[in-house]
Amino acid sequence: MQTQNKNDDIIQIKGLGKNFGDKVILKDINGEVKSGQVICIIGPSGAGKSTFLRCLNMLEKPTSGSVIFDGTDLTKLSDKQLVEVREKMGMVFQSFNLFPNMTVRKNLKLAPIRVKHMSDEEADKVATHLLDRVGLSDFADVYPDSLSGGQKQRVAIARALAMNPEVMLFDEPTSALDPEMVGEVLGVMQELANEGMTMVVVTHEMGFAKQVANQVWFMADSAILEKDTPDEIFSNPKNPRTKDFIGKIIEAK
Amino acid sequence: MKKSKTKGIIQFILLFLSVFTFFVMGSSNNSASAADNSLQKVKQRGELIMATSPDYPPYEFQSSGANGQNEIVGMDIEVAKKIAKDLHVKLVIKSMNFDSVLVAVETGKADMAIGGINPTPARRQSVDFSKIYYTGGQSFLINASDVNKIKSQKNLAGQNVGVQTGTLQYNLAKQYIPNVTIKGMDKTTDLVLALKTHKVDAVGMEKPSAEAYVKNDPSVKMIPSTYKLTQNETGVAIAFKKGATSLTNAANKSITEIQKKNLTQQYLASAGKYMKVNTVNTSMWHYWDYFAKGVEYTLLISLISSLVGVLLGMFLALMRFSKLKWVRAISISYTEFVRGTPLMVQVMFVYFGIGVVVNLPALLSGIIAVSLNSGAYVSEIIRGGINSVEKGQTEAAASLGLSETDLMRFVVLPQAFKNIWPALGNEFIALIKESSIVSIIGVTDLIYQLNIVRADTYRGVMPIFVAMLLYFFMTFILTRILNHYEGKMKHADSE
Repeated sequence: MQTQNKNDDIIQIKGLGKNFGDKVILKDINGEVKSGQVICIIGPSGAGKSTFLRCLNMLEKPTSGSVIFDGTDLTKLSDKQLVEVREKMGMVFQSFNLFPNMTVRKNLKLAPIRVKHMSDEEADKVATHLLDRVGLSDFADVYPDSLSGGQKQRVAIARALAMNPEVMLFDEPTSALDPEMVGEVLGVMQELANEGMTMVVVTHEMGFAKQVANQVWFMADSAILEKDTPDEIFSNPKNPRTKDFIGKIIEAK
Repeated sequence: MKKSKTKGIIQFILLFLSVFTFFVMGSSNNSASAADNSLQKVKQRGELIMATSPDYPPYEFQSSGANGQNEIVGMDIEVAKKIAKDLHVKLVIKSMNFDSVLVAVETGKADMAIGGINPTPARRQSVDFSKIYYTGGQSFLINASDVNKIKSQKNLAGQNVGVQTGTLQYNLAKQYIPNVTIKGMDKTTDLVLALKTHKVDAVGMEKPSAEAYVKNDPSVKMIPSTYKLTQNETGVAIAFKKGATSLTNAANKSITEIQKKNLTQQYLASAGKYMKVNTVNTSMWHYWDYFAKGVEYTLLISLISSLVGVLLGMFLALMRFSKLKWVRAISISYTEFVRGTPLMVQVMFVYFGIGVVVNLPALLSGIIAVSLNSGAYVSEIIRGGINSVEKGQTEAAASLGLSETDLMRFVVLPQAFKNIWPALGNEFIALIKESSIVSIIGVTDLIYQLNIVRADTYRGVMPIFVAMLLYFFMTFILTRILNHYEGKMKHADSE
């Protein structure tokens, strides 16, 4: 790897640490995400992957260290200032978290209208376009409860994209899905990556990580133990914990 | 950490209380030390305000009259009218529970209280009295079937005797009848009903009242009491605020004239006429307008109070989620305090307590008290509703860049309200029923009207039954409406 020009980094993580009470969840995490990169974070359960992701948009406040996004240290911002930053970082959750009290279309339109102050027609155009893109044009006026898991997650992705974010964070987006629905969601994510979206994805889908990621970060025991290209990580892991983890996955297959 | 938090809240509540106390004590002291301009004030206003409890015929009672007009009539009213006339002012009658009439005078809600009040030494400590304008004497009402069993007061030893609470009769019975069991009730009408259903063996009351009942109801008879009484215990007088000497003297002048011309006999006779009119038609249909007015006020109070209650409750609930400690503390203290005190006391506090500073009409006081009370309960319901919304919803909304306010308004509160709808509905239904407590300060809600109809018709049970049905219809219809909306909200999700 060559040394990178600092301006390329959209997110820089420096010495990030997080404790819940006495319990250490994250310790001394460092890393950079460059514009257009897809980073996949893999590792055993309880490694702190989700907490790390949630520290990137301050849904969890780090105990120490800093997260620099577009040159701004997010850990120094007030809650009000954070609101403005968050609209630039879309997030997709394991449990979808669609708003059940609104139709699919309204789910997509709420933030553009309230936060970006778009007109109703503009927001409607954006919603129609994005629903078409995730293949759910026919479901614009139904309530989320009548959708399947895969459809819900595609709506959630469209909802995040409606804010036209610079980065998309995915927190195990396929873990709550029935196996036959995983493909449709990964398909949408793959397209996004192809279009050059910067993405940080916590996932157990090793196939996706291998194919789509520019870099795979292996996390275990509250820390990032290895960062490398997917090829290196999967075929030539260096850290014994990585070796062990990859070995187990191959065995399972 | 937890301990110090609790301590902080307790300190806050104490502070709250001491400010309250200071405010009320301070204001009542002020008014006591004011110079006596009581007569001048009444004349300037052009109105003489009297407090009374119109359930004590023939002293004062509600009458539908010969021409169908609802009015408070009776000997006391005639006396009051005479005084007002002599002062060249208009008489305004405020009706309330007997327990409250002296308080109304003390707190300046009324210029005088009149209502068969015996000027006992204990009462003289808190109010001033006029001269005695009528001497009635004490007697007992018994069931006609008991005339051979209960021949005199002696036979009441060891029996159950009913008396109105807060009255002289109560104290006398307790003091002079050996081994008696006292049953105290608020309303004379309830006492008579208790007598007729053999819950008590006798009811102690003023002689004129007892005579009125005997005249109107052949199933009851009267026996005289053998209490050894002073003038202060047999006579009735008008109560004034302590220090209102000029007004008291003016009233005394009128009373002297009343006594000279023996006007009370005349007053009693005309009161008796009203009572005869009343017993002609005691069918409940005849009183439908009484009940209609009661329903109207009950609905009015409940409707406004539930609206204000929900707004206040929402505000208090959101305060609980504030980042500022003192904002949370105010909300917690308020809720704890209001939930920890009875609504009845709150109603009286708003009417009489706050009334010392700002003179609020009874209806407004009732609505304020019920709203403030409901707000505390609703805030807990809404807080529960907000907590019931999944954390993921707030996180998703925050990740989209929604402000705290928008997040609450569009995402959390709509879902919270759907979850708490049944509990909120329960609160509304409870409100319709609990609002009945405002009748103690004379708001003409359904319970108040019910008591008037009972006093008016001498029928104890039937009006209760009618009121029960009316309450049930109101809550039943409300339940249907609430269920309709609950169904609609459910439908919206799965459409």
